Amino acid sequence: MDQTSTLEKVLRRVAISLVILFFMFPIFWIVLMSFQTNETILRVPPSIVFEPTLSNYVALITGRLETQAGTLEVNFMSNLWNSLFLSAGSVAVGLILGIPAAYAFGRIKFRGSEDIAFTLLSFRFAPPLLVLLPLTIYFQKIGLADTYFGLIWVYQLIVLPLILWIVRGYFEDIPADIEYAYRIAGHSWFSTFRKVALPLAMPGIAAAGLLAFIFAWNNFIFALVLASADKQPVTVGALAFVTASGIQYGQVAAGIVLSILPTLALALYAQRYLVEGLSLGAVKG
Amino acid sequence: MNGAVLRLENVDKFYGAVGHGVHAVRNVSMDVGKGDIIALLGSSGCGKTSTLRMIAGFEETSRGKIHLSGREVQTLPPVKRHVAMAFEGYSLYPTVNVRDNIAFALKAQRLPRSAVNAKVAEVAEMLEIGDILERMPNSLSGGQQQRASLARALIRDANLYLLDEPMGQLEPQLRTLLRGRLKHFIKERGMTAILVTHDQTEANALADRIAVMEDGVLQQFASPAELKERPANLFTGTFVGEPPMNVFPVSVASDDGRLVLRFDGGQSLAYPENAFAAEVRAALFARGQVVIGVRPYAVRRSGTGAPANVLTNQWLGDQSHVSASFAKGTIILVEHDRAHVAIGDRILIELSPADLHVFDPESGMAISHGRELA
Amino acid sequence: MSIQLSDVRKSFTNDLVLDGVSLDIPTGETLVLFGPSGAGKTVLLRLIAGVIDPDGGRIIVNGADMEGVVPEDRGIGMAFQNFALFPHMDAHANIASPLTARRETRSGIKARVKEVATLLKIDHVLAHRPMELSNGQKQRTALGRALAAEPSILLLDDPLRNVDAKLRFEMRLELPRLLKEQNATVIFVTQDYKEAMALGDRIAVMGDSGIVQIGTPEEIYLRPSSTRIARLFGDPTINLLDVVPEIGAHGPIIQLSGREIAISGSYAGAVGQACSLGIRPEAIHFVEPGAPGAFPVEIEAETPLNEKTVTLAATRNNREILVSRPSGAPGPDRGSAHVAFDMGNALLFDLATGARMIGTDAPANEMSK
Repeated sequence: MDQTSTLEKVLRRVAISLVILFFMFPIFWIVLMSFQTNETILRVPPSIVFEPTLSNYVALITGRLETQAGTLEVNFMSNLWNSLFLSAGSVAVGLILGIPAAYAFGRIKFRGSEDIAFTLLSFRFAPPLLVLLPLTIYFQKIGLADTYFGLIWVYQLIVLPLILWIVRGYFEDIPADIEYAYRIAGHSWFSTFRKVALPLAMPGIAAAGLLAFIFAWNNFIFALVLASADKQPVTVGALAFVTASGIQYGQVAAGIVLSILPTLALALYAQRYLVEGLSLGAVKG
Repeated sequence: MNGAVLRLENVDKFYGAVGHGVHAVRNVSMDVGKGDIIALLGSSGCGKTSTLRMIAGFEETSRGKIHLSGREVQTLPPVKRHVAMAFEGYSLYPTVNVRDNIAFALKAQRLPRSAVNAKVAEVAEMLEIGDILERMPNSLSGGQQQRASLARALIRDANLYLLDEPMGQLEPQLRTLLRGRLKHFIKERGMTAILVTHDQTEANALADRIAVMEDGVLQQFASPAELKERPANLFTGTFVGEPPMNVFPVSVASDDGRLVLRFDGGQSLAYPENAFAAEVRAALFARGQVVIGVRPYAVRRSGTGAPANVLTNQWLGDQSHVSASFAKGTIILVEHDRAHVAIGDRILIELSPADLHVFDPESGMAISHGRELA
Repeated sequence: MSIQLSDVRKSFTNDLVLDGVSLDIPTGETLVLFGPSGAGKTVLLRLIAGVIDPDGGRIIVNGADMEGVVPEDRGIGMAFQNFALFPHMDAHANIASPLTARRETRSGIKARVKEVATLLKIDHVLAHRPMELSNGQKQRTALGRALAAEPSILLLDDPLRNVDAKLRFEMRLELPRLLKEQNATVIFVTQDYKEAMALGDRIAVMGDSGIVQIGTPEEIYLRPSSTRIARLFGDPTINLLDVVPEIGAHGPIIQLSGREIAISGSYAGAVGQACSLGIRPEAIHFVEPGAPGAFPVEIEAETPLNEKTVTLAATRNNREILVSRPSGAPGPDRGSAHVAFDMGNALLFDLATGARMIGTDAPANEMSK
């Protein structure tokens, strides 16, 4: 029916606005906070009207935190860089290891394949704290504690099962006939993997990569225990804002805004592949 | 028509904005009487499924009216229309077995168990699924799921039964068997049914009348015999019939009291002028250019006639299909004795005026049909 | 012989699909694998293509044993029922895929793709991706991909299944010529008996886990080895009537509608045995009451079917028979009538086993009116 009433249209928009407001409010509030000083933030009652200041961002970028108790050194920017490096490195390693494994699990039915795949997934079930204590001791003994390499390795516990299980599903959804057709046309299995399976699973790989990146980025406990100040990511670094003279809400907010940016950028970039995957459509023919 | 179970009045379907979106069904009107079996026939994307779904209420009717048993229903939700539908994509409830799937609608009616079981047994036997009633949907083949889904629709008590490609997944042998049974089942109970199909053999075998659709337009709505003998336009002419009707553009000329049809390749066929009725003759001469159509079984080989070269000769056991290059195209002959011609042979072809369908080359509309020519 | 199978076996988790299949296909022959779904036709093709491995037996292609040979080295072209086109490549790249594997020059590939596409009448859609193609174009693209590298072995897995009736008919006419030009040995899988009859030099009928009869279309249609095979070919299906041959005055006879009808003397051995008389609808004719072999029937229904008129008639014993005649041929459409069987084309089967009686000397003459 084309006669949707004007009232209905208005109501629909109001409803959508409410939903958006509900979900976006915390982020909106944080962005506002990041442009305020601690005084204006803690004002009672809170007000939306304030004089914006860039001091929080300046403090983060210059690494000098001014508090009532004096000047404090924070290496937020290096934390941000650590986050970026650790997350990107983990996802890269995870993809390199996970995609071929996912293809193998998805395509080749070998004895025990389900068991192995499940074991890999079960890593996600173990409480990290339980794993951490022995892991820390081992890492200290073999000299991997407080190294990027060691951290990226440990991050595989988070990243690899995720990538493996998501991408495997996508590989399984590609009809085997399409790959058979490419083989019969005279191409080796590796070239079939590269030219047919990989492009067709790209939306799944993009989704898995994005999700893995977010999980790695948000990780706290591994980095807290295994990394020292110069290797720690923003999640751990944010603790620095809890100072002796109180919590620096303005800087925390600015830190959150800055740390959302890389993930956001990646999501926007990956979206292209996600959408392309959808429009590729009827792979199942 | 009085007593019409279903009446469509100028029904349109747009996907997207009305007047702007994809115009999937264009101004379709039709009446379906009580006890009729109607087939919506067309190739994929012709609008037949959209039409069916509008009748069922699963698609909004963009424009026009739908009357069901005297009520205007185009704005009613599906449950209030009192129709039963079998879906092309099976859509069985995965958590219950086949028997409970089929009996689902009956349970709501609180019929006694013995009555439900008897009804299920009857329809299951008809569709040859008596042996799988206790199985779960995911253990069934496509064809079995489809028959279960069909049974679930047929067992209901409804004013109108809508069957979307009810036999698409079945094997040819089973399909042939079930066609007859399904028709008998529907007719015996006086049910009114509309089936959507792209298979004309199925439409011919089941339906009292066939609605041929293409590009969202109802091309012709007629009995199978009428469709075959009096196709309304070039589309139905060539769409209905297997093998398809041969069509050729010809120019009409008069030569020494004879009417001559000249084909593109230079061949021509001459007829005594009185072989055609006066008004047909007048129409032919007035246009000068027409398209003629002739069914493959009506193409005859003879000692005289226009030459053609045999391309293929395929024997199917009870008939031979011969194709030959003719008039810059291909002409197809069906012969009921085994045709003894070899590839490359030159044959001479004759077309009787009584078998010619004549179409307007611009509009594609039929001008006249063989049997009324002579 | 360009394809030889000997005792090929394959099962999937306790489900025996092929139980010792042996087959010799000479070079240049088109062999149709015909049978219901689940009979193992597709499995057999895949074994030959090498994408699955047999449990036992030998597959020899062009004289070479294929054991351990990977699919890309078998030099085979294959078209799939669901087309299996590469959705992320345009039609050109799809058709070119067997050529790129052979590292041909770019211009050579382009020329060959163009040639194949022109032959198949899809040269105007080469830049389209599969999702932009119609079903018919998809099917032709898939066929083009199979043909592009001019393989000596072509495996076509029911390639016409998913296109509409009109296109299917057109392709059925076109394919034999196309295949002959390729000079390839072809295995063509289908469930449509008309395709099988029209395209096959020979037809291999597959039943439970193997080949149940192999022969020319004539042999399969006119001398099926069992009622089951007889029923698979012909539309409408063959009439099967339970009879017990007796000894008549001039040789064996059967009783039909209270009349005695003589059957071939070669069936003398079947006297007294429960049999099934197989007679195709086109071998039954409406005749005048006094004609030889005529017996009365009541006409129940008449339907048009593919250029034929099919009549359902009941004999006096209430046995239903189907009679068919060419469209337009005169015949009764209601009431009582008389029919006669063309006994030269009648077949006798063992009622219990369904096997055709008296092996080889049964009628070999063609259908005639």
